Amino acid sequence: MYPVCPLENASANGIRQVIDTEGKLTGDLPDPEIPDDQLIRLYETMVLVRAIDDRGWTLQRSGRVEFWIPHRGLEAVHNAATLAFDAKDWIWMGYRHPGVMLLRGVPLLQLFTQFFGRVGEPLKGRRLPTMMGDGRVNVVPMTTQVGSYIPHACGAAWGAKLKGHDTRFLAIFGDGASSRGEFHSAMNFAGIHKPPVVFICENNGWAISTPQSLQTASLTFAEKGDAYGIRNLRVDGNDPLAVYSVVREARALAPERGATLIEAVTYRMGFHTSSDNPDLYRKPEEVEIWEPWDPLDRMRKYLERRKLWDGNKEEALWTRCKSDISDAVNQAETLDFPHPSSMFDDTFHELTWMLEEQRAQLLADLEEPT
Amino acid sequence: MNAVGVATGAETTVLEALKAGMSHAMDSDPDVILLGEDVARAGGIFRTSTGLFERFGPQRVIDTPLDEKGIVAHGVGLSLYGLKPIVEIQFSGFIHDAFEHIMFCAARYRWSTGGQYSCPMVIRAPSYGGIKGGFWHSQSVEAYFVHHGGIKILCPSTPEDAYRMMLAAVADPDPVLLVEPVPLYRSLSATFEMDGVPATIGEAAVTREGRDVSVLTYGPIRYQVELAANELAEKSNIDVEVIDLRTLIPYDIETIVQSVKKTGRVVIVHEAPLSMGFGAELAAVVQEKAFGYLHAPIQRVAAPDVPYHFSIGDEHYRPSAKRIRLAIERTMEFEF
Repeated sequence: MYPVCPLENASANGIRQVIDTEGKLTGDLPDPEIPDDQLIRLYETMVLVRAIDDRGWTLQRSGRVEFWIPHRGLEAVHNAATLAFDAKDWIWMGYRHPGVMLLRGVPLLQLFTQFFGRVGEPLKGRRLPTMMGDGRVNVVPMTTQVGSYIPHACGAAWGAKLKGHDTRFLAIFGDGASSRGEFHSAMNFAGIHKPPVVFICENNGWAISTPQSLQTASLTFAEKGDAYGIRNLRVDGNDPLAVYSVVREARALAPERGATLIEAVTYRMGFHTSSDNPDLYRKPEEVEIWEPWDPLDRMRKYLERRKLWDGNKEEALWTRCKSDISDAVNQAETLDFPHPSSMFDDTFHELTWMLEEQRAQLLADLEEPT
Repeated sequence: MNAVGVATGAETTVLEALKAGMSHAMDSDPDVILLGEDVARAGGIFRTSTGLFERFGPQRVIDTPLDEKGIVAHGVGLSLYGLKPIVEIQFSGFIHDAFEHIMFCAARYRWSTGGQYSCPMVIRAPSYGGIKGGFWHSQSVEAYFVHHGGIKILCPSTPEDAYRMMLAAVADPDPVLLVEPVPLYRSLSATFEMDGVPATIGEAAVTREGRDVSVLTYGPIRYQVELAANELAEKSNIDVEVIDLRTLIPYDIETIVQSVKKTGRVVIVHEAPLSMGFGAELAAVVQEKAFGYLHAPIQRVAAPDVPYHFSIGDEHYRPSAKRIRLAIERTMEFEF
């Protein structure tokens, strides 16, 4: 799809950037000057997110989790964007964004409990692995249909505005989602009512096997915002500092200017899901052009230049991430699966007689000898 | 007259009753808002919300883009944040674009978030034929929405029910589809106390007591059933019991079974198409719960599985009093 990585000529492609492949401040945007402790937290979470992906993949391939949605190469956008928002703000994340949960303080064990579909996490084993959320930290569990939650985020933001609350909203979705009517609806309503919401279209190059050229004839996803009167821009989606910078600004502008549509240009290095085979539709050479732009490498080099990071810290971090993940896996796998009767919970505020009857019959049948 | 021009104590139409219900709900709770196409200055294409914009202002009575999916989906978001949106779909024939957001978002947020979020919202669906509306403006869509729970379905057929069900729908913690009877909007009026008391969701009404056969129905077609029942009482001495279900989810199983046990014969009448319709569920549940009481097969009278015809649909698509009478007679004549 690209002869060269579009991040190489970022400014010519209208892509905002802070650092290059060596972590040098060469981009059009200044260093956002994130406090040191936050920078370290951001990088550590990005590494943990990659370590989770490595482990999730092997767990799926060894039959221990049912399904996996890889996120290798996509560590910058959701983590930096989450850091740019306040804890009281609401986030709708996609299914490649576990760092949203981690940066909001959700323990690793809760994530793996969700991946294994066990009891002990708020979604009660009901959702596919990685389709997460937790209302206690204002991360709204996504509706699974791609793009369907964009107008939900927009509507909630509109609600906060109508109620006079200073709560702001973030919705992260993919390039494929921009083809759905929901994207159009949300942009259209947002242009009119100016709710305090930031939309991030994480353009990772592929919607399963469909490349951008078959998704849209628009040159960029950002420019779709022009049609709706929405502020829009492109950013280097493998540059966490640039993402932080533009999201922070969009968040700050939201009460006055309303929505911003940010196209974060990045690349899905892995499979779409554990059920996918990218060899059918893309060449390895295409993936290779993105490797020098790996968000972890760039961030690490930036931190090293700032004397905030070194090889010892790097090694210790990876050791700790792997060990913490192993502990979470081991503990999560001992937890129970949900009881069959729990399928009926939360369908209505109070169960209808119809559901009560169905539940009673299911439980009675379970009691019978097999 | 109250503040939005509904005469109190006088005869109230269905349209005025719906408006009075919305007005009362918006007075009682500042989080209740109305959004839809042309609902503000125009007062809705049927004028159901005339006066509400002037009374409650542009922050609470909101004209939206022409986008049913977007209206409902933004309603979902508004309700997640704590508002109580009443969203109007102009005709239920246009609701299908919003189906995913009604059934898989509004009706599923509570379950799919483990009870952390919910979508208390009202979706107004002006429905049914009888207005020479043709295919898109005469649809009875309720059966599409009854399949998997998470949403309640209310079908008022009187002004008082329209008023009280609107109040019940707004007060309910779950999403509610309010299937509004367009052909009755202006043609039916009644006097009742506008006291702010909501209907009880899930209660049917026995609108005509009888001993020989139970007719289960809902919505405006109920009046065709009552015409047939009166005709049979005069001509054939057949005593028909008419049950207006009023709520489809959850429907009133006790009233149904009690009536069937008394009469032993059942005819189901709805305006929506026959196959796999709500009548199929009723027939199944009646034989499950009252099989030993039945003296005859259950009959269904419904629209055929074809589109609503423009020029002859009102007479021949919807069940007529005559066709309902014939079905009742067949049920009465059946012998094992």
